[in-house]
Amino acid sequence: MATNVLICDDSSFARKQMARAIPKEWDVEVHFAGDGVEGVQAIREGKGEVVFLDLTMPNLDGYGVLEAIRKEDLPAMVIVVSGDIQPDAQERVKKLGAMAFIKKPIDSDKAREVLSEYGILPGAVS
Amino acid sequence: MTDTATVSLNEDQRDCYQELTNVAMGQAADRLARLLDSYVVLPIPKVNLIEANDLRMAIQEVETESAMSAVCQGFIGSGIAGEALLLFNDTSFSDLANLMNYDGELDRHGQLELLMDVSSLLIGACIQGIGEQLEIHFNQGHPVVLGQHCRVDELLQNSVNPWTKTLAIEIHYTMEQANIDCDLLLLFTEDSVAKLNNKINFLLD
Repeated sequence: MATNVLICDDSSFARKQMARAIPKEWDVEVHFAGDGVEGVQAIREGKGEVVFLDLTMPNLDGYGVLEAIRKEDLPAMVIVVSGDIQPDAQERVKKLGAMAFIKKPIDSDKAREVLSEYGILPGAVS
Repeated sequence: MTDTATVSLNEDQRDCYQELTNVAMGQAADRLARLLDSYVVLPIPKVNLIEANDLRMAIQEVETESAMSAVCQGFIGSGIAGEALLLFNDTSFSDLANLMNYDGELDRHGQLELLMDVSSLLIGACIQGIGEQLEIHFNQGHPVVLGQHCRVDELLQNSVNPWTKTLAIEIHYTMEQANIDCDLLLLFTEDSVAKLNNKINFLLD
């Protein structure tokens, strides 16, 4: 069965870049959200089994999304994809329950590496 | 207003500039955060095509009434040129000096030294960060102090550039734990915008 993947980023360019970076061999259904509020809603609807989450967004930022996931105990594996690469930012999102952190700009090699590392990508040799 | 058709910016392009800047300013913030051992709050950058005489309007985030100091630095590469302008709120100097463990006297000269350090770090990292993503190597000119303890309009008068239209990218940096407030403006010349847009369109395809 295809995995529901949610790409949550306020930039349409970044969403496209992220969608392109998803490994071709991975059976997924991709959903999009343009800010954190839309993102949380999509996760509630089961569209975010795996979430690629930006941090700097209007309305509700990535930290807020992580807090909502935790508060409502939503089933989502979150990989933060952000340009905010400060050590503090990486530490904070991990504390808030993010599984991994990928530096922007994203490419398929980086995505594949992280997905394999956490055993999300089936059949991958890590 | 005759050549608005030649220099333009559509929503996809604006979004792309914003995202490229987002990545570049993150790299710059990371370097500043490591230098000051503090967390830098990252805003959503503002991208606008403006008349150069309306530069002041482009500066939305800083308090235009407070005293400021400013540095500008030109950059050029692959036929694309522009100027980076760092506007630094004068009230930020004491916290900046503390975080940088600056133990000299914080007089005009001491402030200048701090201003040059921060501006070379932020401007350099941002310009190179944008360049890397567009595969442009930017050469940077010497930084020039536009003024210390002035009002924004006075500072902008000193940065007279001959272009009529400019692509302006504004990044407002603040610190979480300290009173440090500065505004980085990247201004691309009118001639550069078409070339930049070509590069951007290639990424958008």
